[in-house]
Amino acid sequence: MSGKVRWFGVVLGLLGLAAVLVLHWQVFFWVSTERTMGVVQRIFYIHVPAAWVGFMAFGIVAVCSAVYLWLKDERADMAAVAAAEGGMLFTAIVLLTGPLWAKVAWGIWWEWDLRLTLTLLLFFIYLGYFLVRRSTENLEKGKRFAAVVGIVGALDIPLIHLSVKWFRSIHPEPVVMNPDGPTLPGDMLATLFTGLAAFTFLFFSFFLFRYGLERTRHALAHRRTGRGGEALSEGMAS
Amino acid sequence: MIKRTLGMLAVLVILLGLPALVAAQSGLPEPGALGAQNLRGYTHMFIAYFIAWAVILGWIISIARRLAQVQKALEE
Repeated sequence: MSGKVRWFGVVLGLLGLAAVLVLHWQVFFWVSTERTMGVVQRIFYIHVPAAWVGFMAFGIVAVCSAVYLWLKDERADMAAVAAAEGGMLFTAIVLLTGPLWAKVAWGIWWEWDLRLTLTLLLFFIYLGYFLVRRSTENLEKGKRFAAVVGIVGALDIPLIHLSVKWFRSIHPEPVVMNPDGPTLPGDMLATLFTGLAAFTFLFFSFFLFRYGLERTRHALAHRRTGRGGEALSEGMAS
Repeated sequence: MIKRTLGMLAVLVILLGLPALVAAQSGLPEPGALGAQNLRGYTHMFIAYFIAWAVILGWIISIARRLAQVQKALEE
């Protein structure tokens, strides 16, 4: 992993950590309590940022997968893998924190509502992304199949966003990304933006380290097979 | 006569009103239920935050361990 990438990853991580500290102060000491749901609504400040980062990560997977299929650039595939792992993790946070909020707010842990079901489907699509990569003996073929899954899977994201508008849903409609502008009170909106900043910084920090891991693995594999490992190592060091 | 009529009327009102009174009372939450609801909100919130940071911390540790393993293998 190159020094520049590592340094940039550390800086982003520190920014993320600072934003996390501010977020916790806002969530537990500053932001007003929502009148109907009470304190449990504060899950919102990690639930929504996790969803946003998850969707962004899968968007990166789709773009990098398209670049890989088009240019056959291994770096694009490595970036797609790194983003897919992060996306799955943040989607897992969404799927775990949502039911905890729903049990108090709706009285049920889970509802087979379209938005919830499509989010669960998104998680499984990208689980499939990793399974497909390892499903063939030919590594290149596995990468190509996975890239197709990575692109197709991202089509689920706009469906998730629009599902609450198109169909009757138990899940609330967007409170920030709607045509009339944000409908949240100022303090809640500020806390949400801190959460978004924290999760975005953390994601990009870990993404860089995960990408570095993939490049190092690649260099190791090339060295073992004796196919230009030195060239790749030099590329990494630059 | 008037006293007896008023008395019977009062008994009748009480007898007829009692089920309505009981039904109205049954709609109220049990004593302490509101507190329990509030407490459940706190519990769920703390569990949600714990899960989120545990998942992220787990990912950091996982990346660090894998990176260390691969770099060690690369150096050998």
